[in-house]
Amino acid sequence: MATSMQVSVWDTPKVYKHHEQRPVCHTRPKYRDGRRPKAVKVYTINLESRYLLVQGVQAIGVMTELVQLLALYGAIEEYRVLDEYPAEEFTEVYLFKFQKLTSARAAKRNTDEKSFYGGLLHVCYAPEYETVEDTRQKLQDRRRYVNRVAQSKEKAYEPKSEERTSRTTRPWDTCEEHIPENVPKGKSSTYRDNYQGFPLLPSPPQEKLFCQPSYSGQLQQGSTLPAEDKMGSLHHYVDPTKDPKLQTAMIQRDREKNSRVTRDTTSHARFVPRPALLDSRKRKAEETISQSSRVNSDEGGCVIGPQLPEKPKMDLEDASLNITANIIRSTMEKIASVPEPKPPVATAKPRRRI
Amino acid sequence: MACKDSGSDRFEYLQNLVTEFQDTDCDEAKEQVLANLANFAYDPRNMGDLRRLQVTELFLDMLTEENENFVEFGIGGLCNMSMERESRDEILCSGGVDLVKNCLSSRRDETVLSAITTLMNLTTANSRSQTTDAAVVQCMVRLSLSENSRMRNLATMYLEDYCPEEQVKRAREESQVQCQTALGIPLPKD
Repeated sequence: MATSMQVSVWDTPKVYKHHEQRPVCHTRPKYRDGRRPKAVKVYTINLESRYLLVQGVQAIGVMTELVQLLALYGAIEEYRVLDEYPAEEFTEVYLFKFQKLTSARAAKRNTDEKSFYGGLLHVCYAPEYETVEDTRQKLQDRRRYVNRVAQSKEKAYEPKSEERTSRTTRPWDTCEEHIPENVPKGKSSTYRDNYQGFPLLPSPPQEKLFCQPSYSGQLQQGSTLPAEDKMGSLHHYVDPTKDPKLQTAMIQRDREKNSRVTRDTTSHARFVPRPALLDSRKRKAEETISQSSRVNSDEGGCVIGPQLPEKPKMDLEDASLNITANIIRSTMEKIASVPEPKPPVATAKPRRRI
Repeated sequence: MACKDSGSDRFEYLQNLVTEFQDTDCDEAKEQVLANLANFAYDPRNMGDLRRLQVTELFLDMLTEENENFVEFGIGGLCNMSMERESRDEILCSGGVDLVKNCLSSRRDETVLSAITTLMNLTTANSRSQTTDAAVVQCMVRLSLSENSRMRNLATMYLEDYCPEEQVKRAREESQVQCQTALGIPLPKD
């Protein structure tokens, strides 16, 4: 009996109803009509899966490109072309198995209905390829996650996200409902990109993180980055912007830190090639030695004596303007601290023989 | 905008949905709103608000509707909500187990799948006798032989993880001899 149930994951596929695209609903009143056209459908964990079915791939040998595209959203465990699956003419159907459900979710959200080498991809979950163990794991993870979030929501009123990547890819996003996201995208990108593997994903929910525009930049880059748990989420993280005590403590700490450390510390927030990093460190060290007699806070050299209170940042009297200003500020700061690439040493190229 | 307390906004929005659901006579609108609410229940951050609005009751009410979409969306919402302990307890208090069990006989796969998952979620030390009674176990034994692999997986898991072994064994033997209960066998289309 057990064997009859353990049908191979890679068996001959069938077309299931949930693979089909349902007709889009056009009769919603405005207040609950989302930004994306969606069908009337309820998503449950049963419909989701680490397995994705990708239809509509042009049969022109673009498998590598497709794999590369989907790998942007997380580690892929297995993939293969489903030769037996009924496909449209001149197209192929692929099956992908992601390591994590959240990766599959992000991949689906970002690639479904996107054009790809002249074809329109249709990406859907394929839970029928799951084994009993896959299903068990999926439900356990889900239950654990839901309870953790629900509990921490009661404890501290703060935005949370499931592995953060998933925030914008919740099922109700992909099918039915869309809650306006008032979070500017660029703001959180540095914050996020380093702490999860998928730099191309949209922002996590940080609905309240930006209420304190003047210091949020520091908060992001400072030493108080929330500790992630195994699922990559921040449920137990108390948002410092909401705790005045913590906040002042942090500002204090950040100031101390700023006075001690050069701006270089911020550079961990972006990708700098190792040689360039070493180069810039070396140069900075040299600079510090040559300028050690002078106080040069601009250059981020060593600072002697108490530091002046930080220059108050301009308040534009509008939250979104402030956020924009902050983004620009931090970008400028980043650009300023990127070491200029050294001109490559010109070596005489040996002439090529013809 | 960014500083707006999105929590209370969300609550208001959900309240509007519930109100529209109760006020409208149009089945299509009802279906849309119901699907909306069920999908909101997927996000655990909404659980508190949905419970306050007594959406669990609303979903449970749907299970006895004739419209199969209502049933499917209702049980989908319950499947989403029952993942959380407090909502689960609410559903148990409202006598949801029997209503959910009835969904096992639905003709729609999606409804049956949601019902199995919901029953798993509803199984506690106290409710176990209800959620794993002979009829349910037999039904799961049958579903574990289904052609639909999702159904098969969930039913197998149910038998392995939630039902006592002897009971499963007995149910398997019984199912070979004769069919004792009709739970989980869809009614013929009229």
